[in-house]
Amino acid sequence: MSPSQPIIEAREVFKVFTAQGNRHDRRAFLALHDVNLAVDAGRFVALVGPSGCGKSTFLNMIAGLVRPTEGIVRYKGAPVEGVNTDAGYITQDDNLFPWRTLQENVEVALEFRGVPATGRRAEAGKYIAMVGLGGFEHHFPHELSGGMRKRAALIRTLIYEPDVVLMDEPFGPLDAQTRVILQDELLKLWEGSGKSILFVTHDLVEAIALADEIVMFSRAPGTIKRRYTVPISRPRDVFRIHAHPAFGDFYDQVWRDLKEEIIEVALEVRER
Amino acid sequence: MTAQEAAAGAMGVPRGRGDTLLRAVEEQERARERRARWGIVAGRVAVGVGFLLAWELASGRLVDQFFVSRPSAILGALWTMLVEENLLYHLRFTITEALAGYIIGASAGLLLGFALARVDLVFRIVEPFVVAFYGIPRIALAPLFILWFGLGITSKIAVATVMVFFIVLINTIAGIRAAPLPLLQVARVMGASEWDLQRKVIFPAATPFIIAALQITVPQAMIGAIVGEFISSNRGVGHLISREAGLLDTPGLFAGIFSLLAVVLLMNQGITFLGNYLMRWSPRRGITRDVV
Repeated sequence: MSPSQPIIEAREVFKVFTAQGNRHDRRAFLALHDVNLAVDAGRFVALVGPSGCGKSTFLNMIAGLVRPTEGIVRYKGAPVEGVNTDAGYITQDDNLFPWRTLQENVEVALEFRGVPATGRRAEAGKYIAMVGLGGFEHHFPHELSGGMRKRAALIRTLIYEPDVVLMDEPFGPLDAQTRVILQDELLKLWEGSGKSILFVTHDLVEAIALADEIVMFSRAPGTIKRRYTVPISRPRDVFRIHAHPAFGDFYDQVWRDLKEEIIEVALEVRER
Repeated sequence: MTAQEAAAGAMGVPRGRGDTLLRAVEEQERARERRARWGIVAGRVAVGVGFLLAWELASGRLVDQFFVSRPSAILGALWTMLVEENLLYHLRFTITEALAGYIIGASAGLLLGFALARVDLVFRIVEPFVVAFYGIPRIALAPLFILWFGLGITSKIAVATVMVFFIVLINTIAGIRAAPLPLLQVARVMGASEWDLQRKVIFPAATPFIIAALQITVPQAMIGAIVGEFISSNRGVGHLISREAGLLDTPGLFAGIFSLLAVVLLMNQGITFLGNYLMRWSPRRGITRDVV
């Protein structure tokens, strides 16, 4: 991979889904329409857009869990074919394995990768300490709070050092305070790591607080409507991001564009 | 260390009175748990004794003793069987048949379930056949198996096997297909191979179903063995029971039934231990006791 080459690249990507429900009325619908995007290594990119615009589908394509119907998605220059085990993938649900303790959950990716037990344990211990979960190693997921589970989901992905981390509304289900704390922890874990992050969110404040760049999808069929560079330097204070002098105008600008799409969606729903 | 203690330790806040309270509540909980356990044991003994007592008293007064016998007479018959008719010898055969059928049927059901359920196309092709075979009244196969495998122990094992096999197979398939897709996807992205998926994601996700099947089929295996013995055999508890029935010996009949009951209870206990171990991660067994 040459240094100038983007780490992720989508070219003229289309996706058609067919509803599996009624056999006699197999309706297909267009989820993505001519998506073109290049992400440079080391960037933190937020994907925003109205519900159902295909952001998650796009993320799943980079993870290799969904194939484009047409067009091509490249990862480090090579087309994504099959599951992309080089990337990290974190969803809205923490998806911890309920039958594994915290430590076993954090270790699992290394286990899949054939790392011996002693090495796994040491590495997991390091990450567990990093996010303040020491003392909970032998707890099962149902014995942990939402924030703790989310931290566990985060470090069990970071532990195998993926170059790209795909995050699909990871902090969606959390309460407002835990959310900001985790945003702060995520930034601290990411800054200086050189990793690229693609982060789907519905929360514009979150997008502004975390990302270098915001990519806005249009309503379905989703296509990229606009890209913005966040005019706030790093390191950032997520707890007081709204007090930054550049925040207000930038937020208004992004929100105006998003609002247009949301209103259109609402009108289309009413017509139906 | 409980979650609460660990949380307190992690936050590092000194709080003498709170800690004392914590200790006190824990001690109370443990005491309550002990009391509850004893209460359950006492309750079970009371129900059992009450049932036997009611039976003893009703027999000969409300119901003809010829039909229902009475616990004291059954105990006597059990003793006679034990010392004079070699009950243990017969039990050994029946247990061997039931256990062998159970193990063969359960392992075959598990293995085939894993082979069939993972590939959707394969599953959709074989599904009607599995359902059809499951729908056969399996006990009706017993005479056929005696024809095939002879009068010995093999035919009884075969009957017990089919009693167990289909239930385990169908539950295993249902369990595998209930494994949550997001867990499978996340595991794949984290680098899991197909073998990893089967062993570390799909199997644990299916355990609640599999354990349920293993529990349901314990008495089924016993039914298979006994019915096989009823149809034709010269040993086993089923043979004993059918002989007592031929002699119109009600106490002996009940004695045979009770000895089978004891065996089934023991086997069930074993499966319960296994289930508790495999399902130790399940929230129901965790700290959620406070839910009303």
